[in-house]
Amino acid sequence: MTIQEQMSAELNSAVPAARSTTDLLDEADRYSFAFLDELSKRAIRRAILSAVAVPGYQVPFASRDMPVARGWGSGGLQITLGIVGPDDVVKVIDQGDDAGVNAANLRRLIQRTTGVTTTLDRREATIVQSRHRIPEEGMPDGQVLVLQVPVPEALRGIERRQSELRRMHAEADYSRMWVALYEDYVRHGAITKSTGYPVLVNGRYVMQTSPIPRWDVPRLHHHEGLALFGAGREKRIYAVPPFTDVVPLTFEDIPFEVERIPGAVCVRCGSTESYLSEIPQQDSPSRWVCSDTDWCDRRTAGQS
Amino acid sequence: MSGAQEAALRVEGLGKIFGPGCPECVAATGPELARELCAVCGSIVACWDVGFEVAAGESLGIVGESGSGKSTALRCLAGDQAPTAGHAYVRSVEGGTADLFTLPAADRRRVGVEDVGMVYQDPAEGLSLDITAGGNVVDRLAAAGWRHFGRMRERLLELLSRTEVPAERVDHVVRTFSGGMRQRVQIAKVLANRPGVLLLDEPTTGLDASVAAGVLDLIRDLQEELDLAVVVVSHDFRVIEMLTRRVLVMQHGRVVEQGLTDQLLEDPQHPYSQRLVAAAR
Amino acid sequence: MKGTRVTPVLDVRGLAKSFTLHGIGGRVVHAFSGVDFTVAPGELVALAGRSGAGKSSVIKAVYRTYRPTAGTVMFAPATGEPVDLAALPDADVADLREREIGYVSQFLRAEPRRGVLDVVARAGVRRGMEPGRAREAAADVLAALRLDRELWQTYPTLLSGGEQQRVNLASALLAPPRLLLLDEPVSALDPANREAVLSMISALVAGGTAVLTILHDHDAIRRLANQVVLMADGRVVDAGDPAEVLAEVAP
Repeated sequence: MTIQEQMSAELNSAVPAARSTTDLLDEADRYSFAFLDELSKRAIRRAILSAVAVPGYQVPFASRDMPVARGWGSGGLQITLGIVGPDDVVKVIDQGDDAGVNAANLRRLIQRTTGVTTTLDRREATIVQSRHRIPEEGMPDGQVLVLQVPVPEALRGIERRQSELRRMHAEADYSRMWVALYEDYVRHGAITKSTGYPVLVNGRYVMQTSPIPRWDVPRLHHHEGLALFGAGREKRIYAVPPFTDVVPLTFEDIPFEVERIPGAVCVRCGSTESYLSEIPQQDSPSRWVCSDTDWCDRRTAGQS
Repeated sequence: MSGAQEAALRVEGLGKIFGPGCPECVAATGPELARELCAVCGSIVACWDVGFEVAAGESLGIVGESGSGKSTALRCLAGDQAPTAGHAYVRSVEGGTADLFTLPAADRRRVGVEDVGMVYQDPAEGLSLDITAGGNVVDRLAAAGWRHFGRMRERLLELLSRTEVPAERVDHVVRTFSGGMRQRVQIAKVLANRPGVLLLDEPTTGLDASVAAGVLDLIRDLQEELDLAVVVVSHDFRVIEMLTRRVLVMQHGRVVEQGLTDQLLEDPQHPYSQRLVAAAR
Repeated sequence: MKGTRVTPVLDVRGLAKSFTLHGIGGRVVHAFSGVDFTVAPGELVALAGRSGAGKSSVIKAVYRTYRPTAGTVMFAPATGEPVDLAALPDADVADLREREIGYVSQFLRAEPRRGVLDVVARAGVRRGMEPGRAREAAADVLAALRLDRELWQTYPTLLSGGEQQRVNLASALLAPPRLLLLDEPVSALDPANREAVLSMISALVAGGTAVLTILHDHDAIRRLANQVVLMADGRVVDAGDPAEVLAEVAP
């Protein structure tokens, strides 16, 4: 063969002949288990262990590039991929709803890179990844709740400088957080934070609860499962281990209250006790429906 | 007779050098050489060998021109600067046995919250301008562990009323306040946890004469009422005369004279003191 | 002559004061020298002499507004051993001034913007009086000094020289000190007010206060003083019984 022919043959053997899309997809499916390489998973697990060892403390971690854009749950996804094993059963919700676009995409990604069973039924899940809510019945023993966190810093809006933030957490100097709560109360007659309500974890660190709505905050206190929080863009992981004190920050003489809308009832199952999502109507008052669709479905079907 | 009660604040050999420092620095600077800059290594000996005692209910002035080192010395006591040398003891901190300058950072900060209050020349330095007057006081109370809204509210209203901040402005953001009113908020904030020692750095500079007089009156009254040990730094002799009964004169970083305030004003001994007093009168 | 030997409240020996003016090449100005006298409890000693004789300087040197250049100023406090004010640490002198030594000059120290009654009452509170009691006592003293009631809420800085002088005096008289130093207490007063002040001083002395005062009026001296110290050009030229000493001097 001539040199040219030789080179041509080598090139052709390196680039396979044109194949169908399905072939290409099949090839693409050959990722390492759970998409991330083993070293990345190990790094994430180390961060998770540190986080569990120091409840409420934001552990920095080297957040990987994910097929999901920053701000769309890359942190929560990395945690789930870091801890998922072949026997796990994974549920993914978005605003409490399994059918949301974001939740559906994440679920599909996890399933395709791991082959694990996915479910819509919270009772079957071992890992629940959520963008917004804690499922209505909380987290039982053996279940891990993975939360997708937009902004992990509890003192956000109060201090900008990293050095000062580190100092405040290190010295448990949260006086400025209390000032913010004071100002809120003076201005509005109530503490109005609805998401990201600050809590004191294990009596030591003030933690950001976002994306969890205020409604769900009391569920964190002494819950039986493990809650892991991942912020991909901000590169932080933190945790609330089982049976940990999680106390919302509030003044001694002002009790912590959750949001209630008087008269709101779920139009599907009739619940007044669950977190309700509003469906605005054109010419009539808003209708309400349970945010936790799985729970609502079961109630409607007569089970629970 | 010893007379003097045990000091509420005791400072020994306080010194601050900005820069690398060298063995020549102290000898190469000072009033005789008329410089703070060390010719050998280029460091600034901002203050050196400053020592004094202040009893509860007593007030001490530190007077000198700009660059004399008086503000630097005060900032070291307030915890804003780490001194190069010296010791400082406050009676309410471990009975006066703990050297402030060797305390761990968190403890040092707590001293600033509970034992030693500093009123800055520029109120913006001692206040959060984008928070209400009440909120600024709450900052100190919360730092000392207060968690009861009602009680904090009561205390801050009491303090702001005492410093003559109008009740209707307690919930206004401090940025909207005039200089004199900001200074009053700062004083209220600093007194929140009843410190035994109060440091004042040029408390009335930049204020109109009548506003300044009001602030001085307030400080003087509070000092008597609360039995505070006060250190006032000022270049203005009227402030010194009004507030203090003893005074230190600093020049080029060193203390050149110490005496009773009226004695310094009428019978200054050191040549520099005589110049200062003559210029003021 | 006094019968019993009592420790004098004030015992001044060889007191001298010079000023070194560094600003004009270190020129030395002599205020006075070689001054000796004692003041016993319940005794009034008058310093007399023409202007510029050094009388105010002596008072200031005793009070430690001037640092004496030489000599001793032995002060016997209510309890404890006598101390030399000239050598005492500043903080101790300040304490004694607050508790035991009063000083009233013609000039008003920088005063806060507070009414006359408040200013005088505060002086009492500082001496340990309970606030309500101090206010009452202040009112009594101001009335005895014939200061117009209408002025009691006025700021002292707005008063006349003579009125300010009486406010200063009231503050000192409120809680009588062990030693009272007066620099021309009646010079700016009209006869009626002068009489009131002199009566009060007399009462104070009768009550046991030691008083060292500058007085110009020979009649007042003869009336009140147990001793007079006559000065001229910074030196003591005569001292002793007022009647004898003043007989030699033109009024």
